[in-house]
Amino acid sequence: MKRVFIGGVGYTNLRDLSVGPVIVPELQQLDWPAGVEIDDLSQGGPIAAIHRFREAQPYDRLVLFGAVERDRQPGQIYCYRWDGCLPDSVEIQTRVTEAVTGVISLDNLLIVGGYFGIWPADAVVVEVEPQDEDWGPEFSETIRAALPSLIKAVRWAALEPTNRLLTNPCILWEPQ
Amino acid sequence: MCFKNLPIEFDENGKAYLREGVRNPYEYETRSLADRENQIRDLLARNGHIKPVDFDPVTRVAGALAFHTVVDLKERRVLETNSMATLFRGYEVILKGRDPRDAAFISSRACGVCGGVHSTTSALTLEMAFPVVPPPLGITVRNLLLALEFWYDNPLHLFLLAGPDYSQAIVQTTNPEIWERASKTEAPHASVHGYRTIGNIMTDLNPLTGALYLEGLQMTRVAREAYVAIGAKYPHPETVIPGGMSTTVTITTFNEIYARLRQLFDYCKKTAFIWDDLCDFFYDVNPEYKKVGSRPANLIDSGIWDDPFAYDASYANCNEWGEKRWATPGVIVDGQQVTTKLQALNIGVEEFIEHSYYEPWDTAQPRFRTDPAGNPISPYHMWNKETKPQPGGQSWREKYSWATSPRWDRRAMEAECSARLWNIAAGGVMPHKRFLEPTGTSLKMHVPESTLPAMDMEWKIPEVWNAFERNRGRAYHLVLTTLVALDNWLIGMDLLKQGKDKVHTAFETPRKGTQIGAGFWGAGRGYLTHHATIDNGALSNYQILTPSTWNASPRDPWGNPGPYEEAVLNTPILEDFSSSETYKGVDILRTIRSFDPCMPCTTHIHVDGTDWVVSREVNTCACGIED
Repeated sequence: MKRVFIGGVGYTNLRDLSVGPVIVPELQQLDWPAGVEIDDLSQGGPIAAIHRFREAQPYDRLVLFGAVERDRQPGQIYCYRWDGCLPDSVEIQTRVTEAVTGVISLDNLLIVGGYFGIWPADAVVVEVEPQDEDWGPEFSETIRAALPSLIKAVRWAALEPTNRLLTNPCILWEPQ
Repeated sequence: MCFKNLPIEFDENGKAYLREGVRNPYEYETRSLADRENQIRDLLARNGHIKPVDFDPVTRVAGALAFHTVVDLKERRVLETNSMATLFRGYEVILKGRDPRDAAFISSRACGVCGGVHSTTSALTLEMAFPVVPPPLGITVRNLLLALEFWYDNPLHLFLLAGPDYSQAIVQTTNPEIWERASKTEAPHASVHGYRTIGNIMTDLNPLTGALYLEGLQMTRVAREAYVAIGAKYPHPETVIPGGMSTTVTITTFNEIYARLRQLFDYCKKTAFIWDDLCDFFYDVNPEYKKVGSRPANLIDSGIWDDPFAYDASYANCNEWGEKRWATPGVIVDGQQVTTKLQALNIGVEEFIEHSYYEPWDTAQPRFRTDPAGNPISPYHMWNKETKPQPGGQSWREKYSWATSPRWDRRAMEAECSARLWNIAAGGVMPHKRFLEPTGTSLKMHVPESTLPAMDMEWKIPEVWNAFERNRGRAYHLVLTTLVALDNWLIGMDLLKQGKDKVHTAFETPRKGTQIGAGFWGAGRGYLTHHATIDNGALSNYQILTPSTWNASPRDPWGNPGPYEEAVLNTPILEDFSSSETYKGVDILRTIRSFDPCMPCTTHIHVDGTDWVVSREVNTCACGIED
């Protein structure tokens, strides 16, 4: 049985940036093969994730997903296999500082978790480019339209054979 | 008489009044900063060894802080300082017009570390306004929760944020001779913390790899585990509401907490002695370190941890219930305590915006001229203040920060968790003496045994107030916090045994008329107040005054620097460097970090159309400066 952890990442009540934690319950409702766990990894931030993963049985694959702002077309869904590269120690320290002072960020989680060695070698990221970053509980129209595809993308990233996942970000879906 | 600058006096019943014959008691003249700026520019132009040194952002602090200095590298002096909160906090704006019951949950998002303190201060504010008084167990559990919150906050600062400034990695680079000496100097409290030499402590303070750094990370888990047993969630608890708590607590809950609390007994002993040894070592190596981050001991603290049998939520009785708190409210001026009365503390506070990105509000016709007890309050007081953001360009002589300039009796006061120790020690009015013993000049703390034996520890009011004493005080604050948690745990167990398990009192939200309230509480770094006005059932004004707003404040109308600015101005440059290129500014950074800056509480939301850039997130301790 392949053990896979799927983690949503993001703030709550920050519109499109909340897509990670908000769709976790929807993902949990789907039928999954045995060994797949799905949860919100935002609460407590990277340090809580470190404590959690150190106690858990090792996973074969990690999938992190959420909205990440990278100046791409809003609504585009990207996927890439994390290459495990870490920045220098000063930058890692900055990321730890942000982690312990409440920053919730997919990049931070990857880096801090990577530094403390909690991720499996097979780590995949699914990102959607947000449009509306104001505060509030609702998504923009663009992200609402992207949600079904995002759920499919996360499922694909969790179950696809490793050799089908590239380290270069590829577009899995984009708005028409 | 505690006021020297404001024309406020007190009658024989302790009620404040404005001195007769003063025509415009709160009027003031603003002093221009132009001459000062021109002088600095001239010095910079004429002297190659005088350099602007900017720390932008200041790293290893929570949120977005930038700090501008002009440094004379030849004379090893700091000539000019400007503290810049670079992001606007909009919670006051967000809360306006809302149902008051939203306040605890929304204001909590002001910080990703200490959300619970905002929830609680908000609850206290509304308890005063509604009014409603929680049952004793509700107050006790709230005290316990808010002691545990500092168990996340203080170790984080001591070992992850400020600690690395004293690590081998830093000291060996900036002052190799000190590292040499540290590696040969025996640590006086080795029997408690286990480190034979000061050098061994420094090595374990190394970021990312040092055992103390990693243990600090681990302890955040212990704190969180205990916290969520009551708060349900960290950092934004779901159970703190006006009237008490919305959770059910049982003996099992208390046992779960005690299992974690017991781990803290040893950790707090070890932490206090590590920082004792570090501070005393630096003083011994070079007494000039006593000047690093020094400023007059002007401190303000609103008190925290209510007596469950004294707190009645009323403003009328706040002087009495305030003095019965575990942490006595109070104001220290030049090292002397001038009041422990919450009303005197409250009426002396004003916020100024001459050098902040805000528009003035109507001070000619303030809505409130007195507090609910009839004491005079200023047009610049929080009950009269309005938040009117006005983004603009940066100018040292005009506006340069999103922080306001709060002043008490028109003095720049510092908010610090050490102010709690100081006010308890000097006040002597704190009634909870099972584990705590104020002596007038110190606070004795009796810590029970765990793996280490029971210990009597003593924090002494320091002779000098500087960066090192802030850190030492924070380490001893951990001891205080542990004992307050334990005391409240014991009281809570007694209440449960007596069957007094009610944690909440029902209330009606007023739908008509005007109500005002204030929450006097504290964050990990000290002073925290909320002030609210409710009109016809909705919040018409909500003001949050945080510790880092006090500390990070820009210059006031009279040109006096804020605490960060003043402390850095007084800091000698003791670092070894061969040229301006190799200068790292460690003494300045030690000074700033010693305040445990938490800028998300101070500022928020992004600033379009200015030189100052963008926040990463809006609703938590998440603001970075990105260019």
